[in-house]
Amino acid sequence: MNENRRTILEMLAAGKIDAEEAERLIAALEKEPSADPPGKGNEPRAKEAPKYIHVVVNEENPKGDNPTKANIRVPIQLLRAGVRLGSLIPAQAQFHVNAALREKGVMFDLSQIKPENLEKLIENLDDITLDIGQKNKNVKVRIFCE
Amino acid sequence: MIPMVAQLQVRDWQNREFHLWIPLAIFWILLLPVAILIAPLILLACLFQRMNPFRVLPAFWEVLSALKGTHVEFDHPKSSALIHIF
Repeated sequence: MNENRRTILEMLAAGKIDAEEAERLIAALEKEPSADPPGKGNEPRAKEAPKYIHVVVNEENPKGDNPTKANIRVPIQLLRAGVRLGSLIPAQAQFHVNAALREKGVMFDLSQIKPENLEKLIENLDDITLDIGQKNKNVKVRIFCE
Repeated sequence: MIPMVAQLQVRDWQNREFHLWIPLAIFWILLLPVAILIAPLILLACLFQRMNPFRVLPAFWEVLSALKGTHVEFDHPKSSALIHIF
């Protein structure tokens, strides 16, 4: 029983309010949203905004000994700042960067990186695991936000 | 807040390990006069490239501030490296 309900019942017991008034007050109380912090009851807890993006690479050889690992954690704020800085790059420079990327086989357009696209990507990026099978190695890449 | 300390840890193929704590605060203090000296050049470069320097400089500052918490770690059987920015 919460504090407000108890107070109403005490007022009713003390004769300060009648039964009808008490019923009305309790009904009004039930309409109010719960003051309890989220996560205590059965309500689903609101998802916290992620702060970091993790990229974990595990490369295992068939023997299973001495695996190569890479663990990279980048603040999402850094990605946002980078995208914002990238949007300031003049169109001519973007053209040269895109051409250089294309030469290396990376089909990517710098002008398509926009802050709103990044937000969507972060929203939808929960946990991705990629298995990259090579000749003698098994490479696992896990990308997730925390 | 810009990062103040960086941790660098390197292990080479002979299994020698270097562990360094780099006080970035000192680096920023040393860099400040240089930044002031080259500020007119940056301004000219921005004008030449038709970029607004009052948007570019805050964007650079934002990138610098956001570096805090970056962690890069590579572990290979023969060598390893770790960089953490505080």
